[in-house]
Amino acid sequence: MKKFSLLATLILPLAFATPAITHAAPTPDNVALEKNTAAPLVPGREYMVVANHPNLLHVLDLVSNRVLKTCALPDAFGPGSIQIAPDRRIAYLLNNRFGSIYGIELDACKLVFKADMALQKDERAKSFFSIAVSQDGRELYTVQNPTLLLKDHYEVGEPRLAVYDTAAGLNAKPERLFPAPRQTTIMQTGEDGALYILGADLYKVDVTNGKTEVVLPVRDWGRPGYGAPDVLYAWPIQTPRREFMVLYTAPRFQDEKQDLEHAEYKYGLLSLDLKTGKTEVRDFTTLSEIYFSGIRSPKDGNLLFSVLNGLRKFDIAAERQIGSADLDHAYYQTSISHDGRRLYLSGTLNDVAVFDTDSLKRITTIRLPGGDMSLGTAQVFIR
Amino acid sequence: MGGALLSLALLSPAIPADAAANADALLIQRCSVCHADARGQLARIAGQRKTPEGWLMTLVRMQNTHGLKISDEERRALVKRLADKQGLAPSETAPVRYALERRLNTVEQFESEALTQMCARCHSGARVALQRRSEKEWAHLVHFHLGQLPSLEFQSLGRDRDWFGVALKEVVPDLAKQFSVDDPAWKDWQAQTPQPVTGTWSVSGHLPGKGGFIAEMSVKSQPDKKDHYVVSWQGKYDDGSVLNGQGSAVLYTGYEWRAHVDVDGVAWRQVFALDHDALKGRMFQREHDEIGADIVAVRHESGNSRVLAVHPAYLKTGQTGTLTVVGNALSGKLALPEGVRLLKIIEQSPRRIVAQVVADRRALGVHTLSVGKTKGGTLAVFERIERIRVLPEFAVARVGGNGGSEARVDARFEAEAWARSASGEYRIGLVPAKWSVAPFNADAERDRDVEFAGAMNAVTGIFTPAPAGPNPARHLMTNNAGNLAVTAEVTDGKTALQGTGQLIVTVQRWNNPPIP
Ligand code: HEC
Ligand code: HEC
Repeated sequence: MKKFSLLATLILPLAFATPAITHAAPTPDNVALEKNTAAPLVPGREYMVVANHPNLLHVLDLVSNRVLKTCALPDAFGPGSIQIAPDRRIAYLLNNRFGSIYGIELDACKLVFKADMALQKDERAKSFFSIAVSQDGRELYTVQNPTLLLKDHYEVGEPRLAVYDTAAGLNAKPERLFPAPRQTTIMQTGEDGALYILGADLYKVDVTNGKTEVVLPVRDWGRPGYGAPDVLYAWPIQTPRREFMVLYTAPRFQDEKQDLEHAEYKYGLLSLDLKTGKTEVRDFTTLSEIYFSGIRSPKDGNLLFSVLNGLRKFDIAAERQIGSADLDHAYYQTSISHDGRRLYLSGTLNDVAVFDTDSLKRITTIRLPGGDMSLGTAQVFIR
Repeated sequence: MGGALLSLALLSPAIPADAAANADALLIQRCSVCHADARGQLARIAGQRKTPEGWLMTLVRMQNTHGLKISDEERRALVKRLADKQGLAPSETAPVRYALERRLNTVEQFESEALTQMCARCHSGARVALQRRSEKEWAHLVHFHLGQLPSLEFQSLGRDRDWFGVALKEVVPDLAKQFSVDDPAWKDWQAQTPQPVTGTWSVSGHLPGKGGFIAEMSVKSQPDKKDHYVVSWQGKYDDGSVLNGQGSAVLYTGYEWRAHVDVDGVAWRQVFALDHDALKGRMFQREHDEIGADIVAVRHESGNSRVLAVHPAYLKTGQTGTLTVVGNALSGKLALPEGVRLLKIIEQSPRRIVAQVVADRRALGVHTLSVGKTKGGTLAVFERIERIRVLPEFAVARVGGNGGSEARVDARFEAEAWARSASGEYRIGLVPAKWSVAPFNADAERDRDVEFAGAMNAVTGIFTPAPAGPNPARHLMTNNAGNLAVTAEVTDGKTALQGTGQLIVTVQRWNNPPIP
């Protein structure tokens, strides 16, 4: 298998030129990069992987809070949605402007898998944050949204669930294709082998035959006293709690009249336990500001952290904010350490902010070589 | 989309007299590669009708997205031919001319909420209403949208519904009915005899921040170029400053007047509709389309007697005023309403009457003047101002410059005075005011929007937004956006009156297509 170029320190300063907003000139940490590019990951140690502009993948050592290594990625950046394989050796990444999925073996920064979403020449196909790996690591799933670009018109096709063999190499073609609902985004696999996909509803898919059922209605959730929820969630976070969780906002009506004008808007979470398949829907606060993502503590499922313009901590049962920290700029994504003590904020620009989950004090900031992470998903894992 | 590409550059070299035939040949030559159907006919093109700007946008997409190779001159010829052959009738464009005239602060109101939510959230609803298509062509357009912008169905007002299903099953049939390519209005329009446009025009206009003006515009045919004209203007603002310029014009579809005029080194565009020896529309700066004047004009050669306007259009009781009545073939006596006394006629010609007058309380209200048998132009007489409205009530300014590619967009406000009579409120007109801005709400106050978003000129009502880009001095390093309350203070005698509007200062508009 072809090894793709590891990023030389030399080209890094150039990489800073692209984004509109960048903070960092290379820090001493980053200069030492070259030595580290091939550094194998240490079993039992906690890491974060995250991708950014212009098209880089970083492994962060979460013990020293430093960039351990930086791999250059092929093709184009975006969105940088990552899933870690069950053996924690390979990071799968949706990239190339939503058009290709890559597998990168992290110890050596080696490209081991590539699949293009478009399956024929006159097709444009995009996958919207849609990427998941089976529990045994043998299969990879994504929903592709194809359009035929014909000579004088376009023809939007039906979305399809594509199942790949992760051993298929650098020109992977799907093993199986099944029709999928429109408007689906992020997905996760359950321990029972089922694939859970978020769309107009939360679907459960049998990946052997494509059979799709609704496990949790979302758009038409029929929740008494509530109007339709809105879910916009681009982060398939693999949480230490092993839950597939997203945030919603929804109007809660005052009375039978169901008057939207006077409804109170709630923020809440939709969650599916990937171990048991059990779902949960509950409000955690009244909407007063926007959060892009959130995560619950692996130590205490009643604690939820959310982020956009500020970092907030909630007591879910009490529907009460119990902590808050100001931020120097917006962050899109929350991640949490497996011991529940550290919170990591990523996305948006090019630094990862590390917070203490008890005090909500900032411990440090890990600056990344390169530019904005934008809408990418970072993952925290123990090798 | 490249902004430069998109302007209808009208100072074009000659299109020969058989321009139409040449353009038809060009269509086959340049478009068949992709558009020839099984029978060798051009597919996709016949089932649509649109404005010159609409055709321009399609052709620019053929160039930018699909790799069509044509010269600027060829593109101009194709836009002309397509707009003539497959254009919109005046009655079809009438309700949505604000988009062509680039009145970008217009708040749209369409009957169909579905259409508003489905189709008027990325661009104006006018962009839709300025096209006529067969059902099949509306469906093709929906496929094009989702194929080209696949994230569309995940955006707000996309993800709350089955966007693609609703678009195909509900919106397309509705559009095909409401905006049908076979609308009889188009056949009727094509059957009309061409309207003359050459000659001399009396023009009356008003430029916010500056005031009224009166001009003469001469229009001459360009030799061998059907529908192409040379234009020159001479005029004066009501404050005495001059307004001279020249340029060229093209008449599309028999009534769509588009001109480029250079006024003292600044490029202006005219988007007018020709209607029986009258022109009506807006003239705006090419690089700053928020700076623009409303225009009405009448053609002298028509011989039609017409009163276009009175400058100024209002008079306070007890004060001596000088009124200028503009029009065409004006003869006979200037008839003033009861209570307005003529002091003297300063000038009288078939196109202009200048009179000194004084009004008393009997004249309170709005009156139509007449010259001889011709009625037209309104004069409002008032004793005191009752109320001030800020126009527009809601405006958008955009940060810009600062090394970025997009220029800033100013906002221009005017104070409209209203009076009250026994029979109700009546409009006096646009009056000078003292302008200021304040935070619109608590958030704007906390974020110090007034300080960061830009500056209001107290005299002209022109708001100049701050530079683009993140501002380190601001909370969360945001850019210089803001939400401001705009106040006009008008003094009428000893009374001070106030009117308020809202100004949103927001980020650059990254693409600036011909139809918003
Ligand atoms: C290189 C191929 C190519 C060439 C050359 C080309 N087109 Fe197209 N055209 C397309 C494609 C692809 C579409 C469908 C996608 C779209 O609407 O952009 C299209 C669509 C159109 C449409 C429908 C647009 C709509 O809004 O529904 C029109 C009208 C059109 N073309 C006109 C022309 C004309 C006129 C020419 C020649 C001056 C031309 N095209 C040349 C590829 C081409
Ligand atoms: C997600 C944003 C978005 C939505 C929603 C949207 N449009 Fe558009 N529309 C665009 C963009 C962008 C273009 C410009 C395409 C180009 O020419 O490159 C466009 C172009 C058009 C044009 C001009 C095409 C031509 O070449 O003549 C029409 C007409 C139009 N849209 C109608 C609609 C209708 C009808 C709907 C609803 C069914 C709709 N749009 C919904 C973004 C949108």
